[in-house]
Amino acid sequence: MRFIREFPIIVALSFLFGLAFTGLVLAPVFASDISEPTPKLVAYTPTEQHGREIYIREGCVYCHSQQVRNVKADQNMVDAYGVSKSGDYFYDIPHLLGTSRQGPDLSNEGQVWGKASGDFAREYLIGHFKNPREYNPQSIMPSYSYLSDRELEELTDYVQSLGAWKIAPEATETTAEITPTEAQS
Amino acid sequence: MTNPSPLTTISVTPPETAAPALRSDDRLTFPKMIAIPALERRDYAMQTWLFSGVFWMVVAASIGVIEAVKLFYPEFLQGIPALAYGRLRPVHVNLGIFGFMSMGYLGAAFYMVPRLTQTALYSETLGVLTAWGWNLNLMGGVLAILMGLSKGKEYEELPFPFDMMVGILEILIAGNLFSTITVRKESRLYVSLWYILLAIIPFPIYYTLGNVMNFRGIEDAIVNWFYSHNLFGLWLTTLGLATLYYIVPKQLNKPLYSHAISFLGFWTLAAFYPWNGGHHVIWGPVPEWVMTASVTASIAMLIPTIATMVNFGGTAWGTQGVMKRDISYRFSIVAYLSYVGTSLWGSGLAIMDLNAKLHFTSTTIAHVHLGFVGFGLAGLAAFIYFYLERSLKRGYSRKLAEWHFWLTVGGTIGYVVSMGWLGWLEGSEWASGNSVQGVMALRYWYNVARAGSGGLLLIGQLLLVWNIWKTMTSGPSEGLVTGMASDESNTLKEGAAV
Ligand code: HEM
Ligand code: HEM
Repeated sequence: MRFIREFPIIVALSFLFGLAFTGLVLAPVFASDISEPTPKLVAYTPTEQHGREIYIREGCVYCHSQQVRNVKADQNMVDAYGVSKSGDYFYDIPHLLGTSRQGPDLSNEGQVWGKASGDFAREYLIGHFKNPREYNPQSIMPSYSYLSDRELEELTDYVQSLGAWKIAPEATETTAEITPTEAQS
Repeated sequence: MTNPSPLTTISVTPPETAAPALRSDDRLTFPKMIAIPALERRDYAMQTWLFSGVFWMVVAASIGVIEAVKLFYPEFLQGIPALAYGRLRPVHVNLGIFGFMSMGYLGAAFYMVPRLTQTALYSETLGVLTAWGWNLNLMGGVLAILMGLSKGKEYEELPFPFDMMVGILEILIAGNLFSTITVRKESRLYVSLWYILLAIIPFPIYYTLGNVMNFRGIEDAIVNWFYSHNLFGLWLTTLGLATLYYIVPKQLNKPLYSHAISFLGFWTLAAFYPWNGGHHVIWGPVPEWVMTASVTASIAMLIPTIATMVNFGGTAWGTQGVMKRDISYRFSIVAYLSYVGTSLWGSGLAIMDLNAKLHFTSTTIAHVHLGFVGFGLAGLAAFIYFYLERSLKRGYSRKLAEWHFWLTVGGTIGYVVSMGWLGWLEGSEWASGNSVQGVMALRYWYNVARAGSGGLLLIGQLLLVWNIWKTMTSGPSEGLVTGMASDESNTLKEGAAV
């Protein structure tokens, strides 16, 4: 033990690392539920995708998760929208799961303040981005009044798309089948 | 000792101005060809890394305080895009990890490797140039994040080309250290060197994997966490532990409690840490076995944690006397306790039921800062005071160091307790059906307390910087502060190189 040289150490360390790499990185690629979208899931439109890039740029992910877990703390969301499944994230490149909830989970924001509620929801979201404390004096969310009107629109498009597909009427299933192929090509 | 002659050239610590007493056979010819004479001072590379780390630590902590204020007073510095919370936070994290922790502890590694191998560093020039490259690259990357060019995933925000540059520089650093180890005079490898090997070798693999591209959906999340956890476990923790394993026996002038336990601790850590990534998505939409494997590995991390606990505990047993007089040693103890605390806590967070309650809460933030501040910062402070006093033979201000110590300890406790407790309350509220908006009022005073603790921490670190500055600009002192500093070279043989 005292005279151990570096070579066997390196071989052994590489083996141990390689084992974990195989198990945690390579193996999941072959899990089918990871590599298929959930039925009805639709790809982001170009404006939604732009909105998503603004979400990334402004670091919204550090305070907002996009993940509902099957645990007691998430019970209300589980009842209302269901548990997040791996296929829900099929079009998320990069992922935006988040690890913190300084603010609420946003994976179903497109149902909470959805397009279905019309202009009212849109105006609320944009107004809230500009000045969150006008709507909730206790909120610590930063004001995004420095975003341009167009950026605010795109961000809103993105946020309203989150989880909205889950309640889309059956008819959209056809679009759901078309869009993925478009997105992949 | 098989080869006593290079020992005298290398490990007797020279006064700052001494010319490098390197003999031609100490080195391979190639690095001599690229050597820039002005940079070929002994320990120049190590100092560049170490003091850069200290610099970034102060910047990271300052940004941390700004963020902490924004979390209870959001109007603070509002309206400036580059200073928005969502941009400052990744800057704080990247400077903390790649600036402070990586650079500071690489400084320690550049110090330890030549001494433990009884061999001059393969290339001081390369060491200094990589350090400056790292500094400039990090600066560029961070400015890019502030300008809104973040890649957007935690711990891999640095955009191209800055991210790839980190990987390339690391390969050069690893090459420098590894070459020194390969041509070493001392055939035995002390445990610190094992940890350094584990830190420097796999890094380019997981770093590139995590940074080079986005994967699809959940696969992306799995890779993200595989990379990040290796970054904490195989890069930062190993470098930190290597440093503690090196300085503690020297501070105490006695060998480690048990070499066999170091051996067990190292190999179990190397076996289990790379499997930990999945514990960031417990209960999440990942394949069942990813979760099971990671939870199991996280709980198995109790073995190396307890091994470290017993080993350092056994070494430190009955050393209250040293603790009183040697501030550097006291910092080592804080780092050791925080490391054990963070790791036990981490294993706890990976327990399925506890994670159900505590994931997404501030408990994680408390865990992180106990790791980076309690362990990372205190460990580096221990090394710095050790280096000033025992290697450079300079007396630092004892009074400033006392203040630094108590501000650091007080600030860390304040931070970890306020966030840990808040996290528990948040978890309890959410489990009983309250919403996120419903806990916002509750958070207020805890966030104030965290910012206050962060302020104390920051003041403490400014004292450290001041103390280092004063010490380095004054000459070597006659009467050393603790009066117990023995020559670095003596303990190297007896204490460290078991
Ligand atoms: C003055 C001391 C510090 C203060 C006040 C401070 C404050 C903060 C704040 C407010 C956050 C965001 C928390 C949240 O999202 O809820 C944070 C996150 C973080 N800090 Fe610090 N910090 C300090 C020192 C450090 C240092 C020295 C490091 C060194 C590496 C560090 C590493 C991190 C990391 C890695 C995170 C992200 C945690 C996560 O994503 O879970 N912090 N810090
Ligand atoms: C045995 C050792 C450890 C185990 C088992 C462990 C476990 C964990 C777990 C389960 C989490 C995720 C918590 C959650 O999101 O619900 C976590 C987060 C984290 N741990 Fe550890 N931990 C250990 C040691 C450490 C140490 C020593 C450090 C620092 C040097 C560290 C740094 C972090 C960081 C930065 C995060 C935050 C990741 C994020 O959400 O952004 N951990 N750890």
